[in-house]
Amino acid sequence: MSDAVDTREATDRSGRRRPVAPFIALAVAVVMAGLFVVLANADPTQNREASTYLLGRPAPEAVGELADGSTFELSRRKGSWVVVNFFTSWCVPCKREHPELIEFVAQQEALGNDGAEFYQVVVDDDRDAVEQFFAEEGGGDWPVVYDHDGRFAVAFGVAQVPETWIIDPNGVVQRRLISEVTADFLGQQLQRFREGN
Amino acid sequence: MLAASLNSALGNAGLLLMLSATTFGAFATAFSIRARATRTLQHAPRYAWLALAGAVLSVIMMQRALITRDYSLAYVQQVGSSATPALYNVAAMWSALEGSLLLWVLVLAGFTAAVAWRFRARTDDPLVGWALVIMFVVSAFFAFVSFGPASPFAAGPPVGLGFDGPGPNPLLQNHILVIFHPPLLYLGYIGFTVPFAFAIAALITGRVGEGWLMETRRWALFSWAFLTIGIILGGWWAYEVLGWGGVWGWDPVENASLLPWLTGTAYIHSVLVQERRGMLRVWNISLLIATFALTILGTFITRSGIINSVHAFSAGDIEGYLLGFFAVVVIGSLILIGWRGDRLRSPGAIDSPVSREGAFLANNVLFTAFAFVVLLGTLFPLLIEALEDRRTVVGAPYFDRMSTPLGLMLLFLMGIAPVLPWRKASTELLRDRLFWPAWAGVGALAFAVLVGATGWAPLLAFGLAGFAGGAAIRQLVLATRRQGWRGLVGRANGGMVVHLGVILIAVGLASSNSFTHSANIPVTVGTVQSWGGHTFELIEITETLDDRASVVSAQIRLDGGRTFAPAITTYLQRGETIGTPSVSTSLTKDVYLTLDGTVRPLPGSTDATLRVFVKPMIVWLWIGSGLMMLGTLLAAFPGRRRRPTDPVSAPVPVGAEQQR
Amino acid sequence: MARQVQSIKRWPTWILLIFLVVGLLAVGSTRDTGPRSPGERVDDVSRRVACPVCQGESVFESRNNASESIRAEIRAQVAEAERSDDQIIEDIANRFGGEVLLVPRSTGIEALAWAIPAAALVLGVAGLAMAFRRWRAAADGDRAATADDYSLVDAALASEDEQLHDHERDHEP
Repeated sequence: MSDAVDTREATDRSGRRRPVAPFIALAVAVVMAGLFVVLANADPTQNREASTYLLGRPAPEAVGELADGSTFELSRRKGSWVVVNFFTSWCVPCKREHPELIEFVAQQEALGNDGAEFYQVVVDDDRDAVEQFFAEEGGGDWPVVYDHDGRFAVAFGVAQVPETWIIDPNGVVQRRLISEVTADFLGQQLQRFREGN
Repeated sequence: MLAASLNSALGNAGLLLMLSATTFGAFATAFSIRARATRTLQHAPRYAWLALAGAVLSVIMMQRALITRDYSLAYVQQVGSSATPALYNVAAMWSALEGSLLLWVLVLAGFTAAVAWRFRARTDDPLVGWALVIMFVVSAFFAFVSFGPASPFAAGPPVGLGFDGPGPNPLLQNHILVIFHPPLLYLGYIGFTVPFAFAIAALITGRVGEGWLMETRRWALFSWAFLTIGIILGGWWAYEVLGWGGVWGWDPVENASLLPWLTGTAYIHSVLVQERRGMLRVWNISLLIATFALTILGTFITRSGIINSVHAFSAGDIEGYLLGFFAVVVIGSLILIGWRGDRLRSPGAIDSPVSREGAFLANNVLFTAFAFVVLLGTLFPLLIEALEDRRTVVGAPYFDRMSTPLGLMLLFLMGIAPVLPWRKASTELLRDRLFWPAWAGVGALAFAVLVGATGWAPLLAFGLAGFAGGAAIRQLVLATRRQGWRGLVGRANGGMVVHLGVILIAVGLASSNSFTHSANIPVTVGTVQSWGGHTFELIEITETLDDRASVVSAQIRLDGGRTFAPAITTYLQRGETIGTPSVSTSLTKDVYLTLDGTVRPLPGSTDATLRVFVKPMIVWLWIGSGLMMLGTLLAAFPGRRRRPTDPVSAPVPVGAEQQR
Repeated sequence: MARQVQSIKRWPTWILLIFLVVGLLAVGSTRDTGPRSPGERVDDVSRRVACPVCQGESVFESRNNASESIRAEIRAQVAEAERSDDQIIEDIANRFGGEVLLVPRSTGIEALAWAIPAAALVLGVAGLAMAFRRWRAAADGDRAATADDYSLVDAALASEDEQLHDHERDHEP
């Protein structure tokens, strides 16, 4: 803003004017060049990195309600690997992901005691719709946690479903996976963690 | 099928006509000026007519395609629907990227033709010639973008016979303002191309005089007025449609329209210094260039999707072109200023900061700083992303915090500036002239304290508003006393009316931002809920259903009197749900009712949850806006030549004023 | 009458006015409006948190489910009344990442959002002050007669009146 202010007045002793405009134009050009670089490199796609400050920390003490009306407390699940999936019945990627989850649960059951526990958290959806969803798409024979006031999802910072979290037997968050997952990928991740232990 | 190809073929033909006419016109006119070929220069306006004809043809074909629901076009597939009412179907043209560019093209062609018509007798003047060249170049760019990368006439994938489109975005088809807001905003946005073209022409020709400025004075005022009204209508639309009870959310798109307004406002003030004293020439040109460049940058920001915004259209592939054009505008202008700037500089000097000129300079510093802050805040997420590779948001609280002191300083300036004489003012004179305005400010402050306003910022705003209002009214009273009704017209006096409008808006914003109360109120049929001095009673929940949408509304009796019907509308084709507020307006406060949440109550059920906002003084925003428009009209009204005794501008010697 | 009006426009009245303004501002801005209601606190906090999925809107404005959940969380934390507004916001920001903060932090690189405007304003005002100084210098330069001016005047006078030759010598260096 000071550029033209300075442009207006610059006379040396003899009354002849020093050229000012080129220098100010150059200074503005330098600033604009920086702006161009920033604008041209701006990436319109949002990179949904699977990072969260919870990584490597204890999972939040989230509480929800199970289908039978009893209370689900995540902190009680320590001792085994826990996979938590957030979903709603009307989200299209969740629907696409669903067969993979069914397969994943089957794989984990085949592992016996080493298999991970699987929970699905219903974010903002009503019971009837969810039950109909399971009736049509299969699955749902695992514990389904209803998150009535959304606090379960907020505790994990989940804004868009689906998301899948892996929590180790000590209750520490190990992975946050955004968007759809596949059974094989989840299984491999878990296997790598187990071997790392 | 024939009709379908007709829309597309003629639409494209229109755009091609405009593209070739403007491209050829630019080259032909530029060469004619270089060659001093007066005869060929007379042809310059014809290119403008051709371009306008092409743009009109395209728009007619687009409207025809929308009306006939020509689903062979990708654009109509995107925004057309058999269920859209005729009026919103017209507005569907500017409800997505390609069509809004087409509107841009039309307005730009209109302005180019208007310039060509206005100056048709002076085509041999190089200033006019170069200005036309610039208009042609800008038109050619937009015609190219609309013809090529963002063509509204592109063929869509083949669809079956029974296909029906989703219609425009639901938010763009439930309020009458969507018909007016975008075209008016575009008139303002694009109108600044005209003074910009003349400013560049002045740089190219190196014509030192104030001629170009006088020529474009009304054009700038006209554009500024439409930009203002467009922005205000946008706020009004947000208030009536979006349901969060506010008028301005500092969304990137809103900021994109505010940026040229801020620099444009700075320009229409500082231009007076140039007219009067012949100074600030380069600065004024810079402001016009900045205004135009910010228009392009704003379009880039909002159309490229690099910044998240509720307004942003889905990203097309035009951002590269827009950024390139922005670069060309900035680099070209900087080169011209660097080359010509020193020659344009005026020899005069501003004697004292306490003078009319000084006040205009301070105004310019504040408005430029304001624009800078808004631009910085809008682009800040990009800066962080570039430097630290993480995503951030800069939102309303930041802008509120930054704009409050700037707004207060502007109000203060608004009080002082009108009473300042040109060249120099003495303390005695200020003490004398500011006496009643200052007491008006004290009165306003005392009144605000009395009615219970709290917080230093709003109180200061009310006090300064009283001060500035007092100063504006003082000028108007003095002028009408001297000149009768002519004391209300002309730039200085009309400007005071605009100031009064701005002051009303400032008061409305300060009180509605600071003293809004809101609550969630559960209502049940048969019981009367009271909150905040109001009572709410649910009468019933009804549903109306048509082809387009299902509207569930709660009939609410407010304060035992009128009923209001906040609603939740589900648009069937898109499956989207939006809330529609219902507002009870009075001079002192609005009661703004919405249905809370996203889950719609079932028709016939007996309870619902209301979200209620009580917002004081909102209506003064709209009254103030009306006053601003009236003032602008008065300012554009040809005034009488200023007499040297006119105290508005003449350097009144100390003591002369005291006779009054 | 006019004289009376004139006399009240003197300094004492202005000093009274300044006292009044300061007094009114002090009264108005410090008076107690009572504690904020929980609802108002929820509004205040949610105005400062961005909705994580809906592009630039605050949780206060937006009407979608994610914002609804965050509002519920804020409401619950306000009801617990254990944390301050800033702590609630920090807590939510930690969970969702910095992108839900609507106000840039005042530390680290985000402080630039506050520092750059301040610097720009200082620069602008400084530039303006400098411009005025130069203008004043230029104006003063215009007013003070130069040696050329003197000789011009003297020459003119000399041709008119021979007797002033003595004075001319005084001025010539």
